[in-house]
Amino acid sequence: MGSTKKRTWPESENLEIVKGVSLWQDSWIRLKKNRLAVFGFYVIAFMALIAIITPWIAPYSYEVQDLDLGASPPSSSHFLGTDVLGRDLLTRIMYGSRISLMVGFLATTVSLVIGVLWGTVAGYLGGRTDSIMMRLVDIFYALPFIIFVILLMVVFGQNLFLLFAAIGAVEWLTMARIVRGQVLTIKKQAFIDAAITMGISNTRIITRHLVPNVLGPIIVYASLTVPSVMLLESFLSFLGLGVQPPMSSWGLLISHGVETMEEYPWLLVFPGIFFSITLFSLNFLGDGLRDAFDPRASKD
Amino acid sequence: MFKFIFKRILTAVPVLLAVVTVTFFLIRSAPGGPFDSEKTVSPEILENLNIHYRLNDPLYLQYLDYLKNLLKGDFGPSFKYPGRTVNEMIFSGLPITFELGLYALLTAMAFGIISGVFAALKPNTLQDYVPMSFAMAGICMPSFLLGPLLVLIFGIWLNWLPVSGWGDAQGDKILPTITLGASYAAYIARLTRTGMIEIMSMDFIRMARAKGLSEPIIVIRHALKGGILPVVSFLGPATAGLLAGSFVIETIFQIPGLGRFYVQAAFNRDYTMIMGATIFFSALIIIFNLISDVITVWLNPKLKHEIFKGA
Repeated sequence: MGSTKKRTWPESENLEIVKGVSLWQDSWIRLKKNRLAVFGFYVIAFMALIAIITPWIAPYSYEVQDLDLGASPPSSSHFLGTDVLGRDLLTRIMYGSRISLMVGFLATTVSLVIGVLWGTVAGYLGGRTDSIMMRLVDIFYALPFIIFVILLMVVFGQNLFLLFAAIGAVEWLTMARIVRGQVLTIKKQAFIDAAITMGISNTRIITRHLVPNVLGPIIVYASLTVPSVMLLESFLSFLGLGVQPPMSSWGLLISHGVETMEEYPWLLVFPGIFFSITLFSLNFLGDGLRDAFDPRASKD
Repeated sequence: MFKFIFKRILTAVPVLLAVVTVTFFLIRSAPGGPFDSEKTVSPEILENLNIHYRLNDPLYLQYLDYLKNLLKGDFGPSFKYPGRTVNEMIFSGLPITFELGLYALLTAMAFGIISGVFAALKPNTLQDYVPMSFAMAGICMPSFLLGPLLVLIFGIWLNWLPVSGWGDAQGDKILPTITLGASYAAYIARLTRTGMIEIMSMDFIRMARAKGLSEPIIVIRHALKGGILPVVSFLGPATAGLLAGSFVIETIFQIPGLGRFYVQAAFNRDYTMIMGATIFFSALIIIFNLISDVITVWLNPKLKHEIFKGA
């Protein structure tokens, strides 16, 4: 992507001016140059901030109904209009963002923890353990994951925390594969041999030496998991299998919007806009991170 | 090649068995029986129902029974629609879902490959940015949002196309196809672009240019075969996505396909239907993964070993 600046190597007398650039700083610099990614980052940060402080700044209560008002188009008292029950749409979108973003980040964390642990252990131990563990991953892969989540929702009922767990439990597979692949290459390197020779325990080698070195790909993949998890949650909510009313998520708002889109199109359009912008930003940020951490992609 | 296919099929068998087992025990561990929602069933009738469906047998016997029937290709009766079998329901919905998926995939491939190639020919120019921005939009716009928006614009406001149905009115297949295909077109465009950029920088392309071949011939005859490899390996997983997509699309457009049956079964807690459909979907996805692996290897024999490790 970026043009590589020509570095002139200084003479020995002004060596102290030049600071070494670590791999992380290098990536950070590359990321900051990517305007779309930076834009995405700010949008996400803004959305997250609003989501956190919603209970204090929301213009209305999210469940108070005003049946006399009913569905009204955007006006000065209700910026984005109201829904069929007279509830303020902006407020509901703000509360919806809390659920959607929370599902996105929490489920990603769940998948991150399982996937990273699974992948490192399999890759590091190798041999039989590795093939058994990865065979299990393959089996889960073959399960059409969306069906698997629907199955879990049907069997255990529609519970928000189960939703996190279910989505997280399905999304860890790719993470495990990526991490295992990285670990396989890293563990052949001399510093791991050195650590083994020094008698450091497996747990310590994994946590201190392996995981930090695969952090780059982990961050990249995690950032791309967040939007796909949010999509999955809204997909389930849309089908009526996810978040249940009176709670609302963006998927649920869109689903309600669809029911009445002929008469009150704004109920579909506004939640849709918020949802799409967020997904856009997350994807831009993820792509930017990938370019920043993957030197091969960024140098062509 | 045959050995490869054979080995690949062999690995699919335990996977399928695992799917059946997990699904069976998950469903059976669900709280409440299949007849709980029946309003007032007298204990005698409930007992008779349980005997009829052999729900009083020990679980492992039921499991073995189910496996035996599966081998015969029998998914058993539906719990919610008396007198209908799961097989009947699957096969009445399947052709429609299949047709929808096929149209969507073909549309997606046509749009995706063409725009991907165009973007790759002049990377980082307007010719690249415009289709790739559309691709990004296609990925970020969920189908359950795109579908209703298209219905709103083309079906209700402009009144050009029917808003629902499948094969009932002229042109009612257009909107579902576009909705389902859009995100795939986007993915395929991105994959094609990446693949083509890589291929176009290779020596044999430079050689072709040096020989004075025209650019269209270079692209179509020499670069495309290697350039669309990532697309081919994407097609296997894509079928899984297409099936999942059909849940939403068929619900939005009220298409009586397999996806809609599945969602209804999930709502009605029609356990045998969910179980049958899950197993059927999984088998379908495994088969399509197999096909896409075989085609990938056929296009690039170097990958034989690699796919095996990942299989």
